Amino acid sequence: MLKADTYAGRNKIKKQTTRPRFSLRSLADSDQFVGWVFSLPFLILWGWWFFYPFMESFVRSFQEVNFMDLSQGKFIGLQNYVLILHDPQFYQALGNSLKIVLIAVPVQTVLGLVMAILVNQKIKGKGLFRTIFFIPYITSQIALTTVAMMLFKENTFVTKFFTAFGMENVTWFASTKYALLFVTLLFIFQQVGFTMIVYLSALQEISKELYEASVIDGANAWQKFRFITVPMLKPVTFFVVSVGTILGFQIFDQIAAISRYGALGSPAGATSTVITYFYQHGIRYMNLGYGSAAVVIFFFIIMLITVLQKKLLDDKE
Amino acid sequence: MIFTNKVSKIGIYTAIVLLALVFSAPFLYTLYTSFIPIKYVNTFTGLENWTFDNYKTFFTSDAYSVSKWLFNTVVMTGIILIGNLIINPMAAYALAKLDFFGKKLIFWIVVITMMIPYHMILIPVYVNMAKLGWLNSFAALTIPFLYQAIYIFMLRQFFIGVPNELIEAARMDGLTKMGAFWRIVYPLSKPVLITVAILTFAGTWNSYLIPSTLANTPEKYVLVVGLNSVKDMFFENTPLVMAGVVLTTLPILAFFFVFQKQYMEGISNSGLKG
Repeated sequence: MLKADTYAGRNKIKKQTTRPRFSLRSLADSDQFVGWVFSLPFLILWGWWFFYPFMESFVRSFQEVNFMDLSQGKFIGLQNYVLILHDPQFYQALGNSLKIVLIAVPVQTVLGLVMAILVNQKIKGKGLFRTIFFIPYITSQIALTTVAMMLFKENTFVTKFFTAFGMENVTWFASTKYALLFVTLLFIFQQVGFTMIVYLSALQEISKELYEASVIDGANAWQKFRFITVPMLKPVTFFVVSVGTILGFQIFDQIAAISRYGALGSPAGATSTVITYFYQHGIRYMNLGYGSAAVVIFFFIIMLITVLQKKLLDDKE
Repeated sequence: MIFTNKVSKIGIYTAIVLLALVFSAPFLYTLYTSFIPIKYVNTFTGLENWTFDNYKTFFTSDAYSVSKWLFNTVVMTGIILIGNLIINPMAAYALAKLDFFGKKLIFWIVVITMMIPYHMILIPVYVNMAKLGWLNSFAALTIPFLYQAIYIFMLRQFFIGVPNELIEAARMDGLTKMGAFWRIVYPLSKPVLITVAILTFAGTWNSYLIPSTLANTPEKYVLVVGLNSVKDMFFENTPLVMAGVVLTTLPILAFFFVFQKQYMEGISNSGLKG
């Protein structure tokens, strides 16, 4: 460090000797100054458009406040929370969110792993297959949902095909029976490519020697998978499951698309989730206090689930 | 042994081809339907009946202005991209290589922000935008999103790995601390910056929740929001809607095919390190 300073100053020895120890220039070149200058753009934007609104969400959740007269917010204590917790629609939304996560996360985790193993084999065109499986992930969810809506209308060949599996020939996204399944399938279809890529790179990190050693010990394919692959993939599985859970709770685009001009969560709340519930109340109905309270509840649900998952998947050793 | 190998090979090919059919069918259907007149929907028709009319309608009808939506999307994505490629690396470098008061706190801010879903603050953001008169402006669509905590985290991991000797050498050549970053470290970080750019681009281009909330008049729609409105308005005109899907999706797919390798690496890195 010292050496660097002397070297830098060699050309200006005259200036250097007369310069006071704490000049403006040396201040401008200090870690303190540069550190803050570099962090400041982030900090300003964060304070303005993250921290302040975040705090506002909490404060508003204890208020009765309407968009038309924001300054007239009235403190009403826990009333918003009490109302939400007595609203059957909230439980319907919560139930739907849980259903989506409980179906989508296991399916896309297992399917993603299977697909990763398939495209990791020595087969022709595996690059092409990888791309095909990954494309839904980078496609807009509105676009994908739009296409699926056209395919799953009454009397289309897709809908008719599914009647072979005991499904009815109805427009899926307009049916209270199938709309939630429709949304869940779309979510899996989108997310599974991501899971595959994450698993694929994890599979390629596992050293071949482990498998070779196990073959010498007489392990068959299943045993190799069960006792080498699965344990080695555990950290990645944790990552995939927690990302899937958080994203599953946040599904919005697909539901907004199928609701068309109706209330979010159409038909008849069949696809309402904690996110659409808060959005419908807080932004569409402009009931800011109520919507904020719903968001705070959602926040604690996410936190609780994250902690639970960490416990479940980490302490199994 | 050879026999079982063959059987498993056939099994693998069957499974993968079936899956590939399921995954590519919606795209092929979309492409096909976008080129046919409405009376042929859900039937097969030869090339002689194909037409560009569905695409033409998009650029000629007054009901929607695709070119405007494309312009809005490009401007929004461009501004957010530039912001993220300046603000994130600066903060990340400070957290990785500089020693200053409050650094630990800022690091925790980044980590916690990363974990909080954006929905948490959407209502107050919407209200504050309205108060400022920013709704339906590029300011609303871009300013709050010029940084991303997760990319600050990702870049910090990368900068930590940059050898200190490199920075010291730059200092010896007379560069200031800021100069050492912008002239030496930043250009050397091209791979990770490309990853951030790709992830930001895709995420912004495809986003619906935020643009549909903060810009909700048809002139200020971005492509995805516009597509959704076309779908709702002309739901029975499947070929037209499918042409819209193709127009919206094509740029992002083209982009993906160019940067496919870096994109997938970026994703898998986020998995391994996250």
